[in-house]
Amino acid sequence: MPNAIIEAARGEGRTLLNEVESKQLLEDAGISTTRARLATSREQAVAAAQQIGFPVVLKVVSPDIAHKSDVGGVALNLTDANAVGAAYDGIVQAVKAAQPGVRVQGVAVQTMARPGTEVIVGMTRDPQFGPVLMFGLGGILVEVLKDVSFRIVPVSERDADQMIHEIKGFPVLEGVRGQHAANLPALKRLIAQVSGFVEQHPEIDELDLNPVFAYPDGALAVDARIVLGAA
Amino acid sequence: MNNVVARLERVLNPKVVAVVGDKRAGGGYMWLKNMSPFTGTLYSVQVDPNEIPGIEALGVKNYTSLLEIPEEIDLVVCAVPRQVSPRVIADCIKKHVGGVEMFTSGFAETGEELGIRLQDELTRTARENDLLIVGPNCMGIYNPKLGVRFNAEQPAGVSGSIGFISQSGTHGMNFSLLAAANGLLMSKAVSIGNSIVLDASDYLEYFAQDAATEAIAMYVEGVKDGPRFVRVLRETAAKKPVIVWKGGRTPAGGRATMSHTGSLASSQRVWDALVRQANAIPSRSLDETVDLCQVLLRAKPGAGTRVGLMAMTGGQSVVFTDAFESEGLDVPLLTEASYSELATFFNIVGGSYRNPFDMAGTIGGEQENLDRLFRILDAEPNIDAIAMEISATFMSRRWANHPEQLEEFIGRLAAHKARSPKPYVTIMHPGHSELEVAQQRPRFQQAGLPVLPSFERAARALSLCAEYHRTRFASNRA
Repeated sequence: MPNAIIEAARGEGRTLLNEVESKQLLEDAGISTTRARLATSREQAVAAAQQIGFPVVLKVVSPDIAHKSDVGGVALNLTDANAVGAAYDGIVQAVKAAQPGVRVQGVAVQTMARPGTEVIVGMTRDPQFGPVLMFGLGGILVEVLKDVSFRIVPVSERDADQMIHEIKGFPVLEGVRGQHAANLPALKRLIAQVSGFVEQHPEIDELDLNPVFAYPDGALAVDARIVLGAA
Repeated sequence: MNNVVARLERVLNPKVVAVVGDKRAGGGYMWLKNMSPFTGTLYSVQVDPNEIPGIEALGVKNYTSLLEIPEEIDLVVCAVPRQVSPRVIADCIKKHVGGVEMFTSGFAETGEELGIRLQDELTRTARENDLLIVGPNCMGIYNPKLGVRFNAEQPAGVSGSIGFISQSGTHGMNFSLLAAANGLLMSKAVSIGNSIVLDASDYLEYFAQDAATEAIAMYVEGVKDGPRFVRVLRETAAKKPVIVWKGGRTPAGGRATMSHTGSLASSQRVWDALVRQANAIPSRSLDETVDLCQVLLRAKPGAGTRVGLMAMTGGQSVVFTDAFESEGLDVPLLTEASYSELATFFNIVGGSYRNPFDMAGTIGGEQENLDRLFRILDAEPNIDAIAMEISATFMSRRWANHPEQLEEFIGRLAAHKARSPKPYVTIMHPGHSELEVAQQRPRFQQAGLPVLPSFERAARALSLCAEYHRTRFASNRA
């Protein structure tokens, strides 16, 4: 089934979907994200923020930038129109200064998610077994400690339950030092939904939901990145 | 390829076998000698007049073509050089044989152009003509009951309940031989080689429905159709235990699998995940695979992780406990009821009974005390499984001199196993008396008792089997 977002990216010769496109695809599959709107001017950014409701987050949308906050491409907790307008200009300038020649598609405007326990859900393709899902705690832990678990798609909720319990950092999800416990059924459901999403989209080669905020009452993909396979 | 399971049934249980191309050089008519106990009709096909007398001297009727054999053939063993193999395959197709096991090698595993081309041609021919091929580059089929073998040391005329699938001929031989040395026999084993027509998944599907097979073990380096393998492994493991011994666990080992079987390297973490996902049982070695078979087939099934440990001496009781705790098992304290009963007879001078037990002083003189210990652990609510050390240092020489004491001891263990619903394993380290232990261990195994050679191996096998049963019960409930 051809998908308009995927077809449009292919039409432009892109394999990397930007955050706005990635989240739209995920939302269409019933996966909760901080839905993002693309603004290509200061005025559009302010209008989008007013529609979404404050506070909002602005993030640069660029195929050339992997770590947005490292180049000044992220502004958090913007509470009014003036702040959004200033942040829009600030992001565009900062990014261009940090990385001359960078392509900027615009700025994504989205709800400021309330803080939660950071986890990641990712997908890569194995040469023998096809899509493989990965789960881990977010932030530096996943990068340094490689404290992640894997399962082959299709991943059932039972598999997802094992994935969640398998990581060494699991106690963090149960709540430590006064932190709230994460809602494990919501996380399991999210992983199983991502598995279903991946099955429906064989054209997707890689997917990263990083971070997902795990809450006592749900789970929300705060950033998303999708890479298509060669057409 | 249609109806693979039914066709494999014929090929794995042949009534008529023809060996093509066996010769004196190398193994000295290796294939015909392997097949010497075969209960059906064995033919040879050999065109070399220098070889025919040697074949006939073995009492085997030789023909110069498969097509001349005056009856239907269930299984052809193809042992000709690779250049000749297309002609043999053409005859197999004309003769409508049940299937071919191809010992012939020198195909894609060589990585050279000629080998790859020959394999591609062979694959195309087999597919176009719906010919069932085991291999090539393999040792083929072992059916102990019928005396169809790929190694002359493999037991014949008997059979067991393990189905073995091997992507290596050597591991196929070694597993069947080492298992047999531990009193465990195959229902059938298949060395699957380059798997050009049938893949590991096909053999799994066969063993899943084979009534003679209670447990399946496999050595695998890579598979052809990954998603299908995951599905079939999951379906099979829901019916009977499947042990997956994966070769090429490390990056360098993975490189070696490339030149051995041309298997694609997937990350070991992906393999670990899929084995767990399918509720199969992971194994890292030949020894571990045999250990797991012993526990699966000889111990009662149990999902619990709380173990009662019976050691002969104090130092052993400590390292016994460390080994079991290190594998994720628990060695808990017992209930007061058990302790008060133990206090009435347990010799605490040079011994202790908190769990682990240090019990030589208690059972040394009076073997009936062993029964009392077993009964206490059996009734103990804090204990799910029981493991006992037998010290070769103290026992093996004595038993060599007093075989009746060995018999009495084994009788007590067998009686415990019969009455207890809890998994039970014996640990018997060969120590300094390997010869005696090698003679005594089979007696325990003949009585249906699992005997493992070290605390560490016993702990790992028991832990993996407990996890298997735990997940199986959980998914049956779901």
